[in-house]
Order: sequence, then C-alpha cells, then structure tokens
Amino acid sequence: MGELATEKHVQYILSVEKKKDDFQSVVMEHLRMNGAYWGLTALDILGKLDTVDADEVVSWVMSCQHESGGFSGNVGHDPHILYTLSAVQVLALFDKLDVLDVDKVTNYVVGLQNEDGSFSGDIWGEVDSRFSYIAILCLSLLHQLDKINVEKAVNFVVSCKNMDGGFGCTPGGESHSGQIFCCVGALALTGSLHHVDKDLLGWWLCERQVKSGGLNGRPEKLPDVCYSWWVLSSLIMIDRVHWISKEKLIKFILDCQDTENGGISDRPDDAVDVYHTYFGIAGLSLLEYPSLKPIDPAYALPVDVVNRIRLGKRHAI
Amino acid sequence: MAENTDVQAKATDLLSQFEQILQSDPLIDEIGFVHPSQFVKLNEELGSSKSASSEITGNENSEFWLQHHKLGISTQILHPLYIAARNTFMAATRKYRSSCNQDDQTMAGNSLCGLSNSLNIVESDVMKHSRALLLLSCDFGTAWNSRKFILSKKQNLSLYLDELLLSKLVLSFFPKSEQAWSHRRWVIKLLVEKGYSVEEILKKESELVERIAEMSKMNYRAWNHRRWLVSYMSREQALYELNETRKWAALHVADNCCFHYRRRLMLKILAESSCAEINSGLTLGIYQVWKEELDWDEMLIKRYIGREALWIHRRFLSVCWMRHFATDNKIFNQEGGIKLDIPFFIENELNLVNSCSFLSNEDFEDFQTQATCSGAYLLWLIKNCPNLKVDDKLRTYNLNTLLKKVCPERYPLWDSLIDSIESSD
Ligand SMILES: [Zn+2]
Repeated sequence: MGELATEKHVQYILSVEKKKDDFQSVVMEHLRMNGAYWGLTALDILGKLDTVDADEVVSWVMSCQHESGGFSGNVGHDPHILYTLSAVQVLALFDKLDVLDVDKVTNYVVGLQNEDGSFSGDIWGEVDSRFSYIAILCLSLLHQLDKINVEKAVNFVVSCKNMDGGFGCTPGGESHSGQIFCCVGALALTGSLHHVDKDLLGWWLCERQVKSGGLNGRPEKLPDVCYSWWVLSSLIMIDRVHWISKEKLIKFILDCQDTENGGISDRPDDAVDVYHTYFGIAGLSLLEYPSLKPIDPAYALPVDVVNRIRLGKRHAI
Repeated sequence: MAENTDVQAKATDLLSQFEQILQSDPLIDEIGFVHPSQFVKLNEELGSSKSASSEITGNENSEFWLQHHKLGISTQILHPLYIAARNTFMAATRKYRSSCNQDDQTMAGNSLCGLSNSLNIVESDVMKHSRALLLLSCDFGTAWNSRKFILSKKQNLSLYLDELLLSKLVLSFFPKSEQAWSHRRWVIKLLVEKGYSVEEILKKESELVERIAEMSKMNYRAWNHRRWLVSYMSREQALYELNETRKWAALHVADNCCFHYRRRLMLKILAESSCAEINSGLTLGIYQVWKEELDWDEMLIKRYIGREALWIHRRFLSVCWMRHFATDNKIFNQEGGIKLDIPFFIENELNLVNSCSFLSNEDFEDFQTQATCSGAYLLWLIKNCPNLKVDDKLRTYNLNTLLKKVCPERYPLWDSLIDSIESSD
C-alpha cells in the first residue's frame, strides 16, 4: 500500500487557490468560501496551516459578509447559510472568531428558522435538513445555540428519518449518506442521538462499503472518497464504526491520490479536486492514519480547534 | 494593456453573440459544451446543412453551433465567455438594485416616477444576462436569486412558465444542478398559489424527471423533485403515477431513487386510504396495491440477479405488510382472495430466500450479492417485525452460517445483529 503524499497534497491545495486561468477553475468561484474551508481544514489536519497568510484570509472572509449578517460564497455574491458556516469555520481554524459581530451572525441564522423548526438556506426559502445541521453547528461554534428553538429543530430533523434508519433532505426524502451525516451531526450537537436507531442506521451505513473497500452514498452507487467522510463520521457518532473494514477503506483512499501532482480524486485514476482532497484527508484522520491531526466528526474541525472553542466558553462563563 | 482591452472586447462580443442566439431561438431545448472539432462531425451527422450559426455569427470557424434547437458552445471560448457573462451580469444586478432603492424613494416621495422606464430596461438586462450566465454556470445562486427577485414583483403567469423553460434547459446539460431544481420548486409554488392547474404541473414534471433520469442515472435531486410533488397529489393521482412508473422501474432495476419514489407513492395511498377506505369497507384496494408490488418485486428479483435496490424495496414492502395488513388469523379477503395470515407470508418469503441463497457458482459476483441480499433481507424482517414470532422454521434457518459464508467481510455486523436478536428472544 502507498503512503499519504502529504507534501504533494499541501502543494496542490496551495496551487488551487492561485489557479484562475481556465474555465474549470473560475466556474466554481461562487462557492469559494466552501473551497476555502475544504482547503484550509485539510492543510490544518496535515499540520501545515501556517503556510497561508491568516490575515489575508480573514480579511477576505470578512469582505464576504453582508448587512444581514450572512456570508456569501465570494465577494459581491448573495449570502447563504452554507457559506456562513464555512466562514465561521475558517475563522475558527485561525482562532479569529473574535473579529465577528456574534449577534449579527446569530440573528442571520436565527432568522432562517421556520415555524416547523426547519431552516431555510437563505431568504428564498428552500428547506433542507443540511441547513438544520449548518445552523446548529454555526450557533454551537458561537455559543449561541440557545437562541433558536432547539426542540423544534430536533423534531424537524427526526421527521426526516426513514424506515431504513437513514435520513433524507426533507420528510419523505430518500436516505442519502450526506444527509445522514448532517442529521446525525445535528442530533449529536444537540445531545439528541437517542432519536437514532443505531443498529438500523449502522446497518444501512455499513452496507455502503463495497468490495474495493470504498464507501458509496446510496445503494447501487459507485464508491466515492467524499463518502469516506459522510459515512465514517456518522458511524463514529453512533458508535458502529467497527462494523466496516477500516484497513480496506484506508487503502481505497490512498489509491485515489495523485502521487505525482498531489490531490485526491473521487475514485482511483479520476481527476483530483480540492473537495475530494479534503474529504480524503479528513477520512484518513477519522481512521487514525499516522501523523494527521484528529478531526471531530460532528464539528468537522480539528479536535484541537473544537477544544479551544469549548474552553473559550468555560472562560466566558 | 492594449492587448487586454482587445481580449475584453472580444469577450464582450462573444457574449452578445451568445445572447443574440438565445433570443433568436427561444425554443432551444438542449445545450452542450463541444470541442470545435466536433462541430464538423455534428454537421455531417445532420447531413447537408452548413454550420447554422454562421448565419448568425457570420463566422467561418464558429464558436457556436445551432441546429434543430440544439446549441453547441465551443469549449475554446468558455473561459472568456464566462468572465464576460459574469461581469456583465454583476454590473447589471448592482445597477438594478440601486435603481430599485432609488425608485422606492421616489415613490415614497409621491412624485411621478420617471425612473420606472429606466428600471424596466435594467430589469430586462438582468434577466438577459443572468440567463446567459446560468447556462454557463448552473449553480450561480446570485443569478437565480436576481430572477426570483424580479419575478416576485410580477403577476404574470407566462413569465413563471418561462422560468420553468429556463430551468429545464439548464437541467438538460446540468441534470444535477441543485439551484435549477430549487428554482423550479420556487416557481411551482407560485404557480399553484396563483391557481395554475396542479394536474398540468404534475404531468409536465413527471415527464421532465423521467427524461432526465434516463440520461442521468440515480439522480437524487431529480427524483427528490418528483417525490416533493407527491404532497400535491390526490390518492387517484398517486395510484396513476404508481402504475405509470412501473414500466420505467422494471427497466432500471438498479435505480433506487425510482423505487424510493414508488415507496412514497404507496405511503401516500396508504395514508389516504386508512381512514376513508377502511371505514367504508373498501379495504381491497390498498391490500391489492401492496400484494401486487410484492409479487412484482419478487418477479424482478428472480429475473435480475443481485440487484440491491430490489431487495431494499422488499424490506420496505414486507415491513409495511407486517405492520399494517398481516394478522395472526387465517382470514381470507373474500373479494380479492388475498391471504393475510403471517404463516403464509413467512412461508413465501422463506421460499424466496431459499431460492436466492443457493450458490451454484461462487465465481459469479451477482449470485453472491443475491445470496447476501436475501440473507440480509431475512435478518431485516426478523429484526423489524416484532409481531413476527421467531418460530421453529426461522430458528432452524441457519442465517448465521449463510451470511458469513456469502459475505464474510461483514461478519462484525452479522455477529452484532444476530446476537441482539437472540438476546431479545
Ligand atoms: Zn464525491
């Protein structure tokens, strides 16, 4: 089995940010905030966050904040809860949460909660269980979880549960590993994991591991590195990770590396991107791969960052 | 510097060509990014015709190709075209927002608004440029939002229907675009509010999803969209859809999305039946629906070996059957002759598992998957049906041996599950 090409991946992640000379790289600019979170968290797990200029990143992040308190995916774009979480996470990585007007961000998130407890992604009203997780995580990072109706939020997430133990994007939606991660994460962050049938969900998640060792997102789909994160973190949160083969999964992720130019792809020999690079590295971290910083499965941030935030709360009290 | 301006001028020119083409043919129903060398091939395929876009562009080595409402855009120009579309759109939307604010102020001042006319111009600019941009970058949320903003101030149904066309066009080459699907739902909600025919919407959306599902397999967003519409359906419409999608599902037995859609339809029918139908003694319908689906699924399982989606469907059907219909007593439904007693049901399921777990040739992966799925299915039934007494027949069925033989890589799972069942006995 090959090893993790740490140095190459660092170089790759740093190069992605600078690349603006072709259609493929500019056409993703509307979600640059997500990209920043993926790239920077990956760097931090690799122990190389100090290779970037924190001040530069922080001032760019802040230039994406709107009057409403929400953040957009890039300067001049409209705000959305997706980018607001990424912005808060990036600031957390650099221990720069203090630059935020906490009330302003909190008000934005609180304003997106609907009567039934669900969250809209922005003012246009699309509802998704992912947004529930994002809202809950965002407020947890700011120690403001008590500002929303947590009970209703939890009830909505639970209403997205299916008979197979999984969760969908809205009540009645098909179970999907990404949605499951969000719902389980939301329940974990609110201390509500008792709503999960752990055996049933663990079974469904465990059936995502295919012969090659990789994990897929839904039945009959091909394995994909990003699901190493969605499925694995869910299995850890519900304490059923021993039901899959960790060794085979590690091998699968390592097989998806571009060992020459760095980066990780969805499947072996496909083109790499920063999204799969992050999820591959984060997955390996969950699998306790040597010399990687441990990552927290619910916060999706390095454990030391999460501890720093928790400690901050204790001091504040 | 001069060179830079040249490049910009060329890009701006490309954008106006692009927008002109879009305007000249409102019926364009397919777009693709094509390497210029493919244009020649496309022309050959279509026979005699010359590069149709040359009529519009007057350009020999065309950047655009248009024929039979299919538009090809050369991959060579995507980068500059995108940059021009983005810059032009962003400038227009900024201008629009500030004129809106001004307009509001003028209105508030109660003076006659001379701004409205210029506002209309900027408004149509935003619509034109956001359209071009979205055809290049389908999840550019700000562009979709700018359209929603403008539409939300209009009462014109035909404008809403135009949005459905745009979203459909985007989906024709970005079938997974989350924003395009979301925009669609936003428009449909408005249409329903304004009294547009739900029946018409259901029909059109079903057609669209089916067409997209055909070219983009197991498309979660597409099927989720169709599933979202179930809440707008009557019991009859749900029954109709269930029948209509059977053929498609049988041809796409690996597409779990379609089977999930069927499950939602069945639950809808069940929910609508439980009060009205059962009270009035018309219980036959819903039993029949379930029984037919079980039989049909069994037939597919035997025909298509090792398809996970078919077994997952069966897990659902059987658990519902046990929860809602099965009884301990041997009651025969007089009219349909459907047997509802548990022993009969279990007997049938055991026979199915038996016939599917027999490994004739271990080299065939599909047969191994079939055996794993069948064993896991039986375990699922036992675990999820508390009213299913684990009788002698089930007890002697050596599930443990079967599962560990056909799927040894999951032995920690099988061990835990079988342990938990035995300890709860
Ligand atoms: Zn992926």
